[in-house]
Amino acid sequence: MPVVNVATGETPAAHADSWVRLAEGEAPAANAQVIVPFARFKTEHEQLFAKAGAVGVEIGGADQVEELVPWLSRLGLIVLQFGVFKDGRLFTSARLLRERFHFKGDLRAAGDFLPDQAIFMLRSGVSSLEVGEKFSLDTLARVINAYSLRYQRALDAQPVIVDQRLRGNGS
Amino acid sequence: MYIYDKFDQTVVRERVAAFRDQVARRLAGELDEDHFRPLRLMNGLYLQLHAYMLRVAIPYGTLSSAQLRRLAYIARRYDRGYGHFTTRQNIQYNWIKLEQAPDILSDLADVQMHGIQTSGNCIRNVTADHFSGVAGDEIDDPRVTSEIIRQWSTFHPEFSFLPRKFKVAVTGAAQDRAAIKYHDIGIQIVRGPNDEMGYAIYAGGGMGRTPVVAPLIRAFLPQAELLSYLEAILRVYNRYGRRDNIFKARIKILVRDIGAAEFTRQVEEEWRQIRETGVNLPAAEEARIRRFFAPPPYDSVTEPVAALTQARAANPGFARWVETNVHTHKVPGYAIVTISLKPPGGIPGDATAEQMEAIADLADRYSFAEIRVSHVQNLVLPNVKQADLFAIWQALGKIGFADANSGMIGDIIACPGLDYCALANARSIPISQAISERFADPTRSAEIGPLQIKISGCINACGHHHAGHIGILGVDRAGEELYQLTLGGAADQTAEIGQLIGPGFTAPDAVDAIERIVDTYLKLRQPGEEFLAAYRRIGVAPFKEAAYARG
Repeated sequence: MPVVNVATGETPAAHADSWVRLAEGEAPAANAQVIVPFARFKTEHEQLFAKAGAVGVEIGGADQVEELVPWLSRLGLIVLQFGVFKDGRLFTSARLLRERFHFKGDLRAAGDFLPDQAIFMLRSGVSSLEVGEKFSLDTLARVINAYSLRYQRALDAQPVIVDQRLRGNGS
Repeated sequence: MYIYDKFDQTVVRERVAAFRDQVARRLAGELDEDHFRPLRLMNGLYLQLHAYMLRVAIPYGTLSSAQLRRLAYIARRYDRGYGHFTTRQNIQYNWIKLEQAPDILSDLADVQMHGIQTSGNCIRNVTADHFSGVAGDEIDDPRVTSEIIRQWSTFHPEFSFLPRKFKVAVTGAAQDRAAIKYHDIGIQIVRGPNDEMGYAIYAGGGMGRTPVVAPLIRAFLPQAELLSYLEAILRVYNRYGRRDNIFKARIKILVRDIGAAEFTRQVEEEWRQIRETGVNLPAAEEARIRRFFAPPPYDSVTEPVAALTQARAANPGFARWVETNVHTHKVPGYAIVTISLKPPGGIPGDATAEQMEAIADLADRYSFAEIRVSHVQNLVLPNVKQADLFAIWQALGKIGFADANSGMIGDIIACPGLDYCALANARSIPISQAISERFADPTRSAEIGPLQIKISGCINACGHHHAGHIGILGVDRAGEELYQLTLGGAADQTAEIGQLIGPGFTAPDAVDAIERIVDTYLKLRQPGEEFLAAYRRIGVAPFKEAAYARG
């Protein structure tokens, strides 16, 4: 499926995904960028790191991101798989990965989500979205740029209101 | 009260545009109802039995006269000429067209209002003591804390898709008028060991099908660390609250399942890691917000107000109203007025556009242009001169809101019930009307004294029946509306969940049973003993017996 990089102030454009999901039992091709489910990663991480060009892991809402910490510096991608769009646990997972555990790779949302959630996602540290054919990039562009200000400090670059006020820009 | 700066104003303006975009996508079929629902809910737009309902936020129940006039305008322009003030200090309109909802939000944004987070699985509009800033027993004005929470919770990046709705209430006094122990987080402003200001934090309270009085999870939190602590609570809840069953998804279930001690341990551990990460509000910003809540320019009144004494002596109806609806103000010569939206036979919390406008006029003339909404579904004029009370009472008489029943048996909380709500099992409004008519005689009401009746049309308990001195729960038994009674509930600092006394009654029988319960109280009470105190002393037995002793 196509992938869209998201950042506020930018117009999102879809591009082909350079990562491939490995089927169950499938070995990675040499130098391939591969995504495996978290369960498989836990048992096969050494083989995967040895063979693949880059390793990504897919986690769901119930997975504890703390368990990924030993490998974070070697992971190129973490996929947050939304089983249902209402599963807000992954927003916390994203923030923890970025803020507490300093994950620097691509953090990607996939599965069932709305364009309107993208603004919350990118503010929580998500850097790309895996989108279906019907997903409207026009809508996405409007949604992620709908708000020019933030009440909370988070992981996006938009101005935070309290900082503006402290600089005396309020009136 | 708090006035938006250009940043707050920009946020609500951009919200109107974003919501207009969402509605257009829904109408064009780009969004299906299942995916539109959480978006419209986060803007307070419900689909009820007959039409859309729009819930407008009145943050911590504070309104200006200009805002109240705008609410009246919206009632007239977009609804059927009235609005309904709710137990969460909000107002809702029951007959809204989806296509017009963006225009309503735009009209609201003109007066610094919105529908943000009045519904949905997010941090809801924060509530507070309706006597904030004017009550004599207050340690600090809870509106300062509430406004800080309002801004922090608005479009929170991490906590906008919680397992379930999340309600926060704040009180600044030991006397709890905000029912904080029935909230997901209840915040009480307290003084610390060195007299410094801070908070006692309760978590995991709630009503609904599993009523819980919230346990205390932190006895003292320094004031400056509020937001990091709230963030820690929300993070633990967001990660570990149940998502497999909507009826077990509130934080109260998590706290109950792992225990308050273990929950607290997890919160404290999370807090330890985030308290230095810049979540807390800078002191300068706290001070900026606080300035908006400075006292208005009160006149100095040193003499006893002779005109008030005379008017009370000359007019028993006014004297009764002063007894029940006028409360002690922290400033000499001033008073707090509760405007009862509970005329006998009326719909609790309903007000017409004309009534709203008349109250806005009274606020302009007598109360520094400010109005409060109480969680008991009444309005409050917080800053009234005692010398003006008689004129206010007379003016309220002209709009049918001069009833002397605040805190009394006629001051009923009722949810909208099956007349409006798709979730209800039974109607709430007609039984509320029947009870208020039965006890309409002001002399009898005064004889009975303080007594809180609260009515819910289903187990979700929006009418707070668990916390009623007498609670009424509507149930559906094979197509028949029946009403179960609970006794001994309380919402204040002595919060307790009412006890179910037995099988349900038909509506007429329930009213009769309540009358027998009240008569039993009058017979058994000691001098000066209020209903709840008498019930707590005597226990349920004689009341239960009376309720089922058909005549």
